[in-house]
Amino acid sequence: MPPKKTTNQKAAARVPRKRPATTDPYEIPEEDEIEPPKRQRHAATAAADTDDATVSTPSVSRLKKTVATPIKLNGLNGIDTPSRKNNADRSARRKSARALVDRVISGAISDDEAEEGDIAREIYESSEDEEDEEGEEENLNGETEPTTTPSKFAPGRKRKTTTTRTRKRSPTPPRDLPPHEQYFFQNKPGLSKTSNNTLSSLQLLTHDEYFSLSRDLSSANPHRTDITHLASLHVSSFPQWAFELSQSFSLCLYGYGSKRQILHKFATYLSSHPPCSLGQANKIVIVNGYTPSITIRELLCSLASAVSSPTTTLPGILSHLTTHPKTTLTILLNSVSSPHLRKGSFQSIISTLASHAQVYLCCTTDSPDFALLWDSAVSTNFRFLYHDCTTFCSYSPSEMEVVDSVHELLGRKTRRVGGKEGVAFVLRSLPENAKSLFRLLVGEVLCADEGDGQGQGQGEEMSVEYRMVYNKAVEEFICSSEMAFRTLLKEFHDHQIITSHKDALGTELLSLPFRKEELEGILEELTT
Amino acid sequence: MSEFDDTSLFHEDDHRVAYIFTAPPTTTAATNTSPTTTTKSAPVRPAKRRRVLEKDTAAPLPAQEKDDDEGRQWPRLFNGLESPSAADLRKKTYESAWPVLESEIESVLRDANRQTLEEVVEFLNSDVHECEGRGRVPAGFIITGPNIAGQDLLFSQLGDVLAERGEGRVREGMGGQEGGGWEDGRGGRRYLDYDLEALRVEMEGRGGVVVAFQDSEAFDTGLVGELVGLFHSWQDRIQFSVLFGIATSVELFQARLLKATARQLYGAQFDVVQANAVLESVIMAAVAGTKAQLRIGPGLLRKLVRRQQEQVAGVGAFISSLKYAYMNHFYANPLSALLVDGQKLDKEILQPEHLEAVRMLESFKSHVEQSVEDGRLDHARLLLENDDYLKGRINRLAAKRQQYLGKLLQSLALVIATEHSKRSFVELYEAALEEGISLDQSPGPFDLGDAIKRSTPEELIGLIKRVMTVVVDGNPSLHWNGMGIGQDAEAAIDKFEALRADVERLIETSKKKKTSLKSKYSSQSRVLRTTVVAQKVQLSRDTATLTEEDNAFTAAIDDFFAFFKTLVGCEPLSNLFLNEVWQYDYHLPYEDVFVPRPGATFARALSRPHDYLGCACCDKANGSMVGTLPATSILYHLYSEAGASINVADLWAAYYALVGEDSEIGMDERSALVLFYRGLAEMRAMGFVKQSKKKADHITKLKWL
Repeated sequence: MPPKKTTNQKAAARVPRKRPATTDPYEIPEEDEIEPPKRQRHAATAAADTDDATVSTPSVSRLKKTVATPIKLNGLNGIDTPSRKNNADRSARRKSARALVDRVISGAISDDEAEEGDIAREIYESSEDEEDEEGEEENLNGETEPTTTPSKFAPGRKRKTTTTRTRKRSPTPPRDLPPHEQYFFQNKPGLSKTSNNTLSSLQLLTHDEYFSLSRDLSSANPHRTDITHLASLHVSSFPQWAFELSQSFSLCLYGYGSKRQILHKFATYLSSHPPCSLGQANKIVIVNGYTPSITIRELLCSLASAVSSPTTTLPGILSHLTTHPKTTLTILLNSVSSPHLRKGSFQSIISTLASHAQVYLCCTTDSPDFALLWDSAVSTNFRFLYHDCTTFCSYSPSEMEVVDSVHELLGRKTRRVGGKEGVAFVLRSLPENAKSLFRLLVGEVLCADEGDGQGQGQGEEMSVEYRMVYNKAVEEFICSSEMAFRTLLKEFHDHQIITSHKDALGTELLSLPFRKEELEGILEELTT
Repeated sequence: MSEFDDTSLFHEDDHRVAYIFTAPPTTTAATNTSPTTTTKSAPVRPAKRRRVLEKDTAAPLPAQEKDDDEGRQWPRLFNGLESPSAADLRKKTYESAWPVLESEIESVLRDANRQTLEEVVEFLNSDVHECEGRGRVPAGFIITGPNIAGQDLLFSQLGDVLAERGEGRVREGMGGQEGGGWEDGRGGRRYLDYDLEALRVEMEGRGGVVVAFQDSEAFDTGLVGELVGLFHSWQDRIQFSVLFGIATSVELFQARLLKATARQLYGAQFDVVQANAVLESVIMAAVAGTKAQLRIGPGLLRKLVRRQQEQVAGVGAFISSLKYAYMNHFYANPLSALLVDGQKLDKEILQPEHLEAVRMLESFKSHVEQSVEDGRLDHARLLLENDDYLKGRINRLAAKRQQYLGKLLQSLALVIATEHSKRSFVELYEAALEEGISLDQSPGPFDLGDAIKRSTPEELIGLIKRVMTVVVDGNPSLHWNGMGIGQDAEAAIDKFEALRADVERLIETSKKKKTSLKSKYSSQSRVLRTTVVAQKVQLSRDTATLTEEDNAFTAAIDDFFAFFKTLVGCEPLSNLFLNEVWQYDYHLPYEDVFVPRPGATFARALSRPHDYLGCACCDKANGSMVGTLPATSILYHLYSEAGASINVADLWAAYYALVGEDSEIGMDERSALVLFYRGLAEMRAMGFVKQSKKKADHITKLKWL
């Protein structure tokens, strides 16, 4: 495209001072900047006016090559009123174009202006992407262009590359940015470029291999003695902690590393140095917040049995304590911020317990965001004193399911059931109609996945409505009553081959914790 | 990883949700206390308040079997050299000092809310709503201001007050905890929990039921509407009243309710004393007042007050901080034992270590230096060398402290009494501790000279009266009882009486003469005069002529101010000899314990593990990445260099390059992978990353620390 080249050179000549480091012959938005209002008109009228269309042909075809990802196309289609959004974009674009033109004409460039110019250019370019799509669609509809085969993966993504180059000024990211700046820097659109490498060549760990290797590794840890020493430092502040507990404060131990051991030692210490006053009997209850099966009821039952309270409700326990001033209760809670305890009701129950004069609470937390768990009322009840208790101890298998957690993170087969084989194994032991139901479920999920298209595929795992599945199951004579249906689902739940949750509207949804390929494999196996 | 893990790697209790802990058999106890012994031999941390009972470590087994009281002893300081009686003394001092203050604070808070409480109770008892709002539910809207959490006390007091008067029970509805069944009547017929009929039977022939919503904005609006509707429909059988705690305004609250609901309410609005006022009275009573054993230093006090204002924390948070300061001081400062009265301070309690510690104090050093400069060499030498001399000095500490506090409070009370200071009490108090009080400083917080001198005769008389009241009666909110009955007090009162008589006489005379009495400070003393002489304008400055009475009045003002100055004034707290014994002004423990910065703590632990581990291998890393770091730490380093989306395959490659077979560490692939897994799982548990479905094997960054 000869005209482009000339303008390139012109542009480069015009602004030599501004970006000396990055000037290269390809990088040039200026050409677009000057033209846009005109071309925009062309694009808008392209479908109606053949003459115009031919006039604008070169630019349109050029633009076509730059078309953005197909996802965006979907996104645009999904929006109710594209026209309004586009109008707004267009006017922003017009303004930025004008700003760019003015700047070029006036020739005077200060640093400030240069920056503004960049913004204007970004606006201009980003809306151009959308406009390209629009123009393309119009072309599709009008079929005025014989040459347009709107192949999205047309060769020569030349302009695209130039765009990214203009955006990314320097190859190395700026160092020492404050965290919030870094957030915005790293989340710039188009900046995240990662390689396409995958872990496919690496054989992932199995549970057995993990455990056998980690046992060997734990003895070879070079920091072993240092970790023990660090723990002994924490142990030496036990008297202080006990004193703080006795003064009706609660303790919250935070910091990196497992604090289960420390808490256990603290329990041992407290059993010989109780925080309560003379003549009171202290009961110590250790609660493992990390256990996935933890429920409020179970917790309250344990507490009630510890203080031998007849009722297991919260007010019951508290009033029992009030009427028995000789009994005190120490709750040592592991991982107060674990995902299983994050419900507001749980935290407020714990805090109500902690606010009782005869209850002493010491809890540990493993994530740095624990403070967000508590609103002002709850934290007033807690009366926490926070202590840095960084241990560097590794988490025990009961605290953290390392292999599952990592596989989940990678989107691999997550559950212990072990993907396709596991499902087949589970289903083999179940009656015929359970198999049929699971086949139905897999089919529905895959259908829903396809129906939604790729656009949604990147979000949550696909789910289907409980009600719909039930209706289908009844239609296919898999089950006759809802109760039977529930019983079948319960079996799946127990083996963790389905998950259910509710959406914002309260509709119950069922989903399968597998990847699409795995689902297809399962379906194949079930139907054959 | 450590021996810790190995001992109970697969402990069955770890998988249980909750279990009652019973002390392990003695063998386990012995191993468990072994780290304590390690500390003994390797005292790395500052010994302060980290020490464990000597007895306990020497013989861990008997310690457990000993009397319960043994376990409640405080650790001995001075590296365990402190005598048990001294430690005990500190404990006793704390136990006597704090409860006094606590009850004091409680009564202050009760007083602060008294007016609101009375109004509310009166409203609930009044019959007004029976005439005006017939059939409607009486509703009290209590405007608490933004820190609704701090108003716990108000509502609990409300409950107490109402219970006292037998007006029925107050059930609190906390925000967030919706519902909550009604308690059914005791005995008799059983009703379902939510049946109001039960309540009706219970309440038969008694007053009404008051339902209080403490944080009504956090309450589900629909539920409030339904409840009000329910109460309304039962209104002919049970006399319901509702109370709403509101943080914003009644208008906003009403806007959220349905019109039908709002129509069923008949309300009155009550304002609560604002938190700032409450805080100030708490500070007056508990920090500045005579009952406070320990002085909170100006720096810490300022920090505490600022936290109250910035974080909208309730008064409770302030009281907790105050308590923690007391705890810290008596628990960790061996010299706090010297705070007991001189007579009680047994000479045997004072160990050589105490004296040595005293000689290390900043105020001791500056005192000695000052003495040397003043030429009191003997005094300085005795202080440094003669233990008995120093003990004598220490014994006079309590008296000195009383004297200083008396002067401080007297000055403050008098300054407040002038009503000329524009600053709040807290600011004045902080300034007084930090810089002392001197009326001559100008400009300064105690720059009252001009204001006093400019006062009119009537104002002066009012001023004298107020000052006299303070001298005689003191300031009750400070628990300062005035100057007492000593000679000073009498002299002061005589002086003020005489001055007042003088001024009154002058007013009389000037009234007779029909001139207005003024002083040279108050009148426009210099007047610019314009005279036209022979068509020329002449400007001349002229001092206004003061009459004889005016001059006398001026003299009286000068006299008053001069005398006032003798009464007001004190030194900065830090100038006092041995002020460290009864002053607490440390920021660090307070900040660490109440305002933690977990993000920074985690980031530090992960980016510089050496800070915590002190290991030899990572010594040279100094915040950079080396292969010897724990796996999670290496991953954290890589993580902080990565962009918003991270390719796990690349992460693994980078990790393996650092620790793998080609590196210095030389770990085989599978072992490295185990550690990599562990690190990744920990990163996830800490909320650093989450799964990404944008690309295969990618994770998304969630934290920018």
